[in-house]
Amino acid sequence: MLEPKTTPAQAPASTKRGPRVIRRGGREHTVLLGIGAVLAVLVILWGGQLDPFNQGQLTRVAIFAIAIVGLNIATGYIGLLSVGHSAFFGLGAYTTGVLVVKYEWDPLMTIPAALVVCLVVGLLVGLPALRIRGLYLAMVTLAFGVAFPEIVAHFDDLTGGAEGMTIRRQQLRPPEWSGFTLGERSQWVYWLCVVVLLIVMWIAHNMVRGRYGMAMIAVRENEIAAASSGINIAVMKVTAFGVSGAVTGVAGSLFAMYIGSLFAEGSFTLLAGITLLIGLVIGGEATRSGPLVGALAVVFVPYYAAELGQGQVAAVLFAVVLIFVIFVAPAGIVGGIAKAVRKVVVVTPRIPRKPEGTQQS
Amino acid sequence: MDIFLSRLFSGMTAGSIYVLIALALVVVFRSSSTINFAQGEFALFTTYVAWWLTERGLNIWVAIPPIIVLGFVMGALAERFLIRPVRKRDETAILIVALGLFTGLNGLDGWIWGSDEKVFPAMFPSGEDDYVSVLGARLHYDSILVWIFAAAVVIGLTVLFKRTSLGLEMRAVATNPESAALCGIKVGRILTISWGLSAAIGSLAGVMLVPTIPPGQLNLASMFQVLIFASAAALLGGLDSVKGAVVGGMVMGIGLAMINGYATFIGGSFSLTFALILIVVVLVVRPTGLYGTRRLERV
Amino acid sequence: MTDAPLLEVRGLRAGYGQVNVLHDIDLSVGTGEVVVVLGANGAGKSTLMSAMSGLIPHSGEILVDGSPVGHPRPDQMLARGISLVPQGRGTLTALDVTDNLRVGGTGLGSKKDVDEEIDRWFGIFPRLAERADQIAGTLSGGEQQMLAIARALMSRPRLLLCDEISLGLAPLIVQELFGTLRRVSAESGTALLLVEQNAELALDIASRVYLLEVGAVASSGTADSFRENNNIRQAYLGY
Repeated sequence: MLEPKTTPAQAPASTKRGPRVIRRGGREHTVLLGIGAVLAVLVILWGGQLDPFNQGQLTRVAIFAIAIVGLNIATGYIGLLSVGHSAFFGLGAYTTGVLVVKYEWDPLMTIPAALVVCLVVGLLVGLPALRIRGLYLAMVTLAFGVAFPEIVAHFDDLTGGAEGMTIRRQQLRPPEWSGFTLGERSQWVYWLCVVVLLIVMWIAHNMVRGRYGMAMIAVRENEIAAASSGINIAVMKVTAFGVSGAVTGVAGSLFAMYIGSLFAEGSFTLLAGITLLIGLVIGGEATRSGPLVGALAVVFVPYYAAELGQGQVAAVLFAVVLIFVIFVAPAGIVGGIAKAVRKVVVVTPRIPRKPEGTQQS
Repeated sequence: MDIFLSRLFSGMTAGSIYVLIALALVVVFRSSSTINFAQGEFALFTTYVAWWLTERGLNIWVAIPPIIVLGFVMGALAERFLIRPVRKRDETAILIVALGLFTGLNGLDGWIWGSDEKVFPAMFPSGEDDYVSVLGARLHYDSILVWIFAAAVVIGLTVLFKRTSLGLEMRAVATNPESAALCGIKVGRILTISWGLSAAIGSLAGVMLVPTIPPGQLNLASMFQVLIFASAAALLGGLDSVKGAVVGGMVMGIGLAMINGYATFIGGSFSLTFALILIVVVLVVRPTGLYGTRRLERV
Repeated sequence: MTDAPLLEVRGLRAGYGQVNVLHDIDLSVGTGEVVVVLGANGAGKSTLMSAMSGLIPHSGEILVDGSPVGHPRPDQMLARGISLVPQGRGTLTALDVTDNLRVGGTGLGSKKDVDEEIDRWFGIFPRLAERADQIAGTLSGGEQQMLAIARALMSRPRLLLCDEISLGLAPLIVQELFGTLRRVSAESGTALLLVEQNAELALDIASRVYLLEVGAVASSGTADSFRENNNIRQAYLGY
């Protein structure tokens, strides 16, 4: 039996007072949302004036959050476990790198290009998902993740092969309309990543809140039931995988602009793919803010772990945290918190307006 | 002819490693119906331990038995305390725990021993002149050694499954865990033993791997490729078949040696990409592989 | 010897996930006794068998020889002499006939005991002997059921639980199986607890009956009293 990944709103336990009920769209709800928005804006503005190093860390959080939002579409919502999303991340990064270095594109213009390239490759990689699932699909994506650096090395006249490729600083000059000078490049990248993250999260939010999101979860929980409800599973799976790869590819494109130099054996190995997956699981699969929390872990766990010993401590810590989360809060940190909060506050849908002249029986 | 033979020999040597890791995957799949993605990293960890023991002056041959035991214990503990608690939940949870083990063990290796390449002592004279000549091709002693070990494990496993009561119980659990339990088999114990056995085979494969990779060097990424090749081999042969693992492993080993040797027109190495394509093709066209009997689906 | 029944359940509840199927079942089987549980589809018969043999969790008490056994695993129930022929036979389809029987004898001490027991069952079911090396999955339905019964009896249980062994089999074969069961029970003193939809045959060999309706015991009594009760006869025997 599958355990549903999202816990249904639980009936209040036998406490004296049930959880406080807040109606979506009501005044309380609007006020809470407003407070949340103000806090988010404050954090973003605060990040805007940080010193370059710390700002860079936040930029990385935004980039990984975008990547994990992408992974969440395939793995969290529709249940297609992808171990090798590092390949999409890398593909996006190399698309930007190659277009900027070899074809002197404007870096901004490479973002849609990375999106399209990764969408197409995502659709192709998603095709086997029609016949293959679960364990076996994970195997395919794992092999994809391992093979990616080899493919990059193979096209070495484009990608620089094992030596990697470097994008010159000049080529990453912020556009003039932005008002940032070349010296303020890190600020420009920060704002760019934050804006893209907000857009991506907004799109993901709308996608999963609507019919499409319901359909995805239905496919994850029970394919046969979903199919008999009129969902076209084949189209669903393949497009979800394509969109998932595309979003993660956009993150890779931003990563190329942020980091400026690309090594397939460094940033885009299987371990990177597993790290994305771990970030997603820790943050919370099939949650909307889980990817952000996961990205914080992906960036800051290695940072603090570095003080404990050689570079690989982070991986050990990740493993420990991951297994802890799997055992204690299977829905991840966000899922776990949401469950705890539901004991205190419940948000219910807005009351549908009753058509005039009907009577309640 | 001699070039062909030497390619054949090196393919068979690499193939023997894939056979061993594929067997490790098969042993786990038969009992638990899952692929242990951390299989390669279990093996890498014990191989590092073996290297560390030899650095302490131990003869490599003396180091092998303790690391096989260590492998067994690691596998058994992982099953008992990390896999079993999430077994009932879903397939994904098991996979994610295995991936956690993957990064965790890899990180642990790096933490303890650093990420620089390790030079491993040879198990057998492996110098330029230590070979027998077969029709003009050089057959190195350490290659012969790897073949012998792989053959011994294959024979050992076959005897275990076909001739012993433990093997019978393992086959019973593989067929139908519920019925096996009703026959009085302690299913949990069988699962723990299977994972232990699997990791023990992996440990042996890890030490054998060293002669097959360029000059006796070992690093944190050594097992990634091997895992992919072995997985492709196991899928090709059929995930629940010992015979399939042997055939699949040898096809992978020899096939890649021939492709990289003769198909120079594709330029450079494309081994992993071939493995990826093979995995996809097998899964789409013939999910049970050549000799497999069953394909597990989420029910 | 005590007077306590071989197997007794008190206030047994069990189900799947959140769904409770059985509600406070009380039931007992004495040494050597043949008892049948009748009930329609979905009455909870299989759940009852699964819970009593340790396949699914339960609440309430299970007692063997008068002492509570807690929440045993299937192998622990088997060690106490209680063996189950599961619904749908549960033969180990990838193994050959002899290996199936050998697995059934897991709990027996020596290899000699196992071989002796296998010979005994080959004597009782000559058709299995003829197919000793055949893979179980390729046997006919009736042969698989024979194998499942023989396998469950390999461990020399004191009580055999049979979950609808007549399901999907030709009437002639069912009669043969029931005949064998009755003989084995009489010869070796093995108690039987049969769950059946095929009430007529079951009543023939049983001494006592429980009637299960929507997860609870609706009535119980001797087989004779059931046969004489008009309502029950019409509902379950159809005449």
